[in-house]
Amino acid sequence: MADHKKTVLVVGGGVAGISAALDLAAGGHRVHLVERGHDLGGQVARLDKFYPTDHCAFCPLWTEIRRCKEDESITVHTLSRVETLEPREGKHQALVVESAPVVEPSLCINCGRCETACPKGVAKPIWEHAYPPVYLIDRDRCGDCRACADVCPTKAIAFDREQRKIELDVDEVIWAAGFDEVSLAPMKEYGWGTHPDILTSLEFEAWKAEAGENRGKILRRSDRAVPRSIAFIQCAGARDLRLLPHCSAVCCMHALKQAQWVKRRTPEVDCVILYTDLRTVGRDYYEYALRDFNGNGVRLVRGRPSMIYPLPGGGIAVRYEDTPTGKREIRKFDMVVLNGNLQSALPLRPVPGAGPELTGEGFVTAASVSCGFVMEPADVTESAIQASSAALRSILGTKG
Amino acid sequence: MTKIGVFLCNCFGEIGQVIDLESIRKRLESDPAVDFVTVRESLCLPGDAAEAHARIRERGIARVLLGACSPYGRMEIVRLGLAKEGVDVRTVRAVDLREGCAWVHGKDPRGANRKAANQIDMELAFLRNTQDSKDVAIAVRREALVIGAGPSGLSAACGLARMGFPVHLIDRGTAPGGTLNRVTKSYPTEEPGPQKIAALVDETGRNPLIRFYGKTNVASVKGYAGDFKVSLAGPEGNTSLRVGAVVLATGARLLFPQGLYGYGKLKGVITQMEMERQFATGKPACRSAVFIQCAGARNAERPYCSTICCPLSLKNAMRIVDEVPGAKAAILHRDIMTPGSVLEAYYRRALHKGVRFIRFDAERPPEVRGDGQVSAVEVFDAISGKTRTIETDLLVLSTPLVADPESAALARMLEIPVDRHGFIAEVYPVHPVETRNDGVFICGTARWPVSSDQAMAQGEAAAVKAASFLGRQTVSALTMSRVPGTKLGHATANAEACTGCGNCVAVCPYHACRLQRTGQRSVSRVIKVRCKACGSCASVCPNGAMQIPEQNYRVTGEMIRRAFREVR
Repeated sequence: MADHKKTVLVVGGGVAGISAALDLAAGGHRVHLVERGHDLGGQVARLDKFYPTDHCAFCPLWTEIRRCKEDESITVHTLSRVETLEPREGKHQALVVESAPVVEPSLCINCGRCETACPKGVAKPIWEHAYPPVYLIDRDRCGDCRACADVCPTKAIAFDREQRKIELDVDEVIWAAGFDEVSLAPMKEYGWGTHPDILTSLEFEAWKAEAGENRGKILRRSDRAVPRSIAFIQCAGARDLRLLPHCSAVCCMHALKQAQWVKRRTPEVDCVILYTDLRTVGRDYYEYALRDFNGNGVRLVRGRPSMIYPLPGGGIAVRYEDTPTGKREIRKFDMVVLNGNLQSALPLRPVPGAGPELTGEGFVTAASVSCGFVMEPADVTESAIQASSAALRSILGTKG
Repeated sequence: MTKIGVFLCNCFGEIGQVIDLESIRKRLESDPAVDFVTVRESLCLPGDAAEAHARIRERGIARVLLGACSPYGRMEIVRLGLAKEGVDVRTVRAVDLREGCAWVHGKDPRGANRKAANQIDMELAFLRNTQDSKDVAIAVRREALVIGAGPSGLSAACGLARMGFPVHLIDRGTAPGGTLNRVTKSYPTEEPGPQKIAALVDETGRNPLIRFYGKTNVASVKGYAGDFKVSLAGPEGNTSLRVGAVVLATGARLLFPQGLYGYGKLKGVITQMEMERQFATGKPACRSAVFIQCAGARNAERPYCSTICCPLSLKNAMRIVDEVPGAKAAILHRDIMTPGSVLEAYYRRALHKGVRFIRFDAERPPEVRGDGQVSAVEVFDAISGKTRTIETDLLVLSTPLVADPESAALARMLEIPVDRHGFIAEVYPVHPVETRNDGVFICGTARWPVSSDQAMAQGEAAAVKAASFLGRQTVSALTMSRVPGTKLGHATANAEACTGCGNCVAVCPYHACRLQRTGQRSVSRVIKVRCKACGSCASVCPNGAMQIPEQNYRVTGEMIRRAFREVR
């Protein structure tokens, strides 16, 4: 058992998948790491900041991504998905489909000539922290003029590359597909989609990012003016039997982090967090919240909004009950950030006929090996622990 | 003399349009240390690394200077390419001519060229003056010590043994199992505690690779990753071991609530563990049970959430409702901490079963009434704004897990830091079971309050991390870096210049510097395996005795001298 080197398919290249892959490789096992996006890192790599350290989220991940690419035991398949997965003689046969990128990352030198040449403005740099930095072409809005391909000095741009289908025989599969935001549009009371200043927390994270388009400035999305007030709404779509019954586990800390960051950048912005239970169970998490309980500037109000709607004269109304006082309040905010609508990615993007068994809430059951948010809502630390544990279970061939 | 090869990248004009690569080439070619200067269109595209490597080999070059882009651009791809060709990337230095010069200073070509020249000169100064650290290889002892045989320690030990590594598993108790042995139902599966770990306990007895030492403590630890010399104090005297890795899984204790909410004064005021005992020996005889959360937690003294107390109360409140006929249960809380899907469903279940939840504010804690025996709890309901009196004959205090002083003592022995609450600190949140001392891993509640399930997952995680280290036959000090092949070097102490002041010992975050007595005086000695080449020691040494040969003071001085020089 101990000397048998395995081949493991890891589905998902975020924190969980990367950590599992590195642990397997360190033990001498072979890994196929399948990531649907352009690059490794998943959701965390796109975060501006990381709690509870308030450090850049990407930096610690950058090393791990680099190690994945460097390690000869790990084959990274980006822009890829598992199409089929069949049991075969105690193993699995997987068919992985690698989409062909229009801009080949191994050739793109990030010079930006395609962006200058594109008449429709659809050639854009990838998000700020992606490694290596490359350009992407939005094929849906592309006019097919190929001006970009003509100016590309390295022939990185080609429109006729074909997708690759790769058959893999693997001993074990680790599900680490992470989470996605689920649309809040059906829940009309949150007003998502009705006004540019009502954002989900991940939208706000990208909007306020220091490396993002506003270079860390806190601005309204509607008119790029500095907001006077921001409401952070917790459990939006979560702990709610109509959409997601689970608690997404990461949102309380995420909102605290964002609100504290807003105060640090622009102290005059009034930040209010409307929460149900302030769940701060990890190391240093409660003390992180205590900064605000002790008057750091962010106001924590226990209450769940009943209605959020744009006001005709500008601003957004939030109607809620302030539970400690029992009063129904209507307050005007300049921005509203909705937090909580995170779901295991597997029910949103299932592997037809090949996915693992899921619970009613869409999480992978103990019948398969999984880690990260697809197993149970988890933050970076929890995901990393689960990933190592999943690596062990794959090495030993035990489930659960 | 060191021969230096220089590759300059034009990046299809991205660099060459601003930076005059030809004049840089001419200038460098007159430098006697430079063997060749090659200007290339690219360095990062397929095939480039092989061509560069061929040139390096053909000229017998020891050190390489790359003038290309930023490490956050494609420089890492260049280095990776060279590494895959077999070039030792520690001999390669890089200058960012694209993002750092041509792009940001594109409107000031003179300035951009001067900055490029300065940076190239600085790196050449580095390559001319740098020296190599002498590497040290140590043989890895292919066995592990696991301290603590609770859920986390058991799963670490069994994980390691199943992967084929011999494990010494010690516990201060007589048998493995830890606190879980005393829990009749564990949350959320409601499996009896001992059953949850039965397979692991069984394996501990059955697997020949695991040796269990009951009633045993660690007397001392010496050494470093790969070769720790451990002395164990057990019932049969001391045992000496040499192990490659140590897993610390000593657990935590529940706070004893003396003086809190009438505990110790009123009958019927008990702790969660006392409630477990009542369930173990029958059923609590009560008409009503009230649970108070955060008893001694999330206050000024212990400003943290202990994670497990909310689910524990949910479990025991549901047991009261289910198993004690006619009895009611109420949980007085500040926030119900049930993150995730499983625990949130557990919370919903308790709500459906009729467990009453009343939220109170920290500033207005519940008050306990009674005379000799608890009779009622008065609580200000923060939601309704009313004061409620709940008659009860049983009050259960949900107290937090607190760090075990023995763990802190072990942490000192193993030279790893504890946090301000006494729990053992990980190296970084992304590496949650690794510590600042390579080869020492942590799991379970010694690290931070967690459920038994989480503790077991951490045990497995620690096993995997320890195994990847133990699986290597030897490790060389220069590979002891998170990113293989990138450790700069390690500090060396010049015994003649050292006056034994101990500054380096005080400042080293990795406990790599030691004072060693030689004859009449003490001199510093560096444990190379532990050194991470951070340079702290060199910066505080008043005598220049502590140096990292790669980045010695001559290197640094020569680089600074060239940093802002006018270049013709």
